Amino acid sequence: MILKEERLTQLLQKFPPERRQSLAVFQDIQQECGYLPKEHIIEAARYLKMPLAEAYAMVTFYRSFSLDPRGKYVIKVCDGTACHIKNVQGRLDCLKRILNLDPGETDKDGLFTVETVSCLGACAISPVMKVNDVYYGNLTEEKIYEILADLYRKEMMKA
Amino acid sequence: MNIVIDGKTCEARPGEYLWDTARRNGIDIPALCRHDALPGRGCCRLCIVENENAVGSRSVIVSCVFPVTEGLKIHTRSEKIIRFRRILLKLLIERAPQAEGVLLDYCREYGVAGNGELFNDNTNEKCILCNRCSRACQELGNSAIQVTQRGIDKIVASPFNEPSPDCIGCAACARVCPTGAIACTDTREQRTIWNKTFEMVKCAECGKPFATAEELEWMKPKILDFESNLAYCPRCRGRHVANSAMV
Ligand code: SF4
Ligand code: FES
Repeated sequence: MILKEERLTQLLQKFPPERRQSLAVFQDIQQECGYLPKEHIIEAARYLKMPLAEAYAMVTFYRSFSLDPRGKYVIKVCDGTACHIKNVQGRLDCLKRILNLDPGETDKDGLFTVETVSCLGACAISPVMKVNDVYYGNLTEEKIYEILADLYRKEMMKA
Repeated sequence: MNIVIDGKTCEARPGEYLWDTARRNGIDIPALCRHDALPGRGCCRLCIVENENAVGSRSVIVSCVFPVTEGLKIHTRSEKIIRFRRILLKLLIERAPQAEGVLLDYCREYGVAGNGELFNDNTNEKCILCNRCSRACQELGNSAIQVTQRGIDKIVASPFNEPSPDCIGCAACARVCPTGAIACTDTREQRTIWNKTFEMVKCAECGKPFATAEELEWMKPKILDFESNLAYCPRCRGRHVANSAMV
């Protein structure tokens, strides 16, 4: 979703126009749009008085930023050490079977995005995944089916 | 203060880095991320040397970022250092088998060759990610290119891989690149670099193209007496300045 000009201005002006604010600014834009639209990166760099190449280097460096639109539900599967040894690959295969998405991909309806992250900081309940802001621990294949079925049901009710 | 490099007593200045002390005293240490216009960064590791302490034990240090202190005893070409440099060069040339320029010269000097087989046959690469280009661009005040992405996907690029609005076509990046990785094509009329094409400005005297229009525009506010100074190419300009000084 691309923001209206006034909304973007409003969002930018929460921060002083200084380069050291850049990370926070990009995080806010991503929070609101679900990804970082190119025109917003350009606008933000201008506001922060930061060369565009450096803004671009920054947003391509951090994995949590996405330059492409993502799905309504972003599924972040943890592939940190603990989850890795608890066979996160099996859970990813499971997601692939259901959604036909590899990590980094978004379905064509813009509903789901699957990503892997390096650690969600919840190793005690590994393997873990996060759907938008909700954590799901001790994942099993059954649990994944249930979670996705719930989300599908929710979407169907709305439609 | 004095330090000893390869058995030779060298005069060192406080605040200086070891690499520069060596150079001033006629001892060349190979360097890739350091350039005369850009301070060392400690990222290519090619300038490593051995530092011998009072009891004779040695440690490997990075000379381009090592501040000199009184009484250092340095070995720049010990058997161990040569061995380490060969490994470093091997890794670099395997990463960038198409590299030319300084990197290739060092590889020849150290008897190292590579074709990219070590790293998934990535045989078209020239860049070793030393950052010289992006730092040169930054120093000049444009920052039109940067090292983007991360990990194995790292690549030097203009924003969104499109012609950069900040690029003035000065080609400083191509000039400082130690591997000839930046494509810059010049004709009499035009220069193309980073997917952007610039018109060349010709010297008012000899007619040689010497800068892009954008480059001169960029220099304008910074140069006194712009018209008479920047209408000519560097060579003719020198002559003009000399002539005008004589009358
Ligand atoms: S393009 Fe050249 S100067 Fe730039 S990082 Fe690569 S090797 Fe270094
Ligand atoms: S020149 Fe010293 S590390 Fe590159």
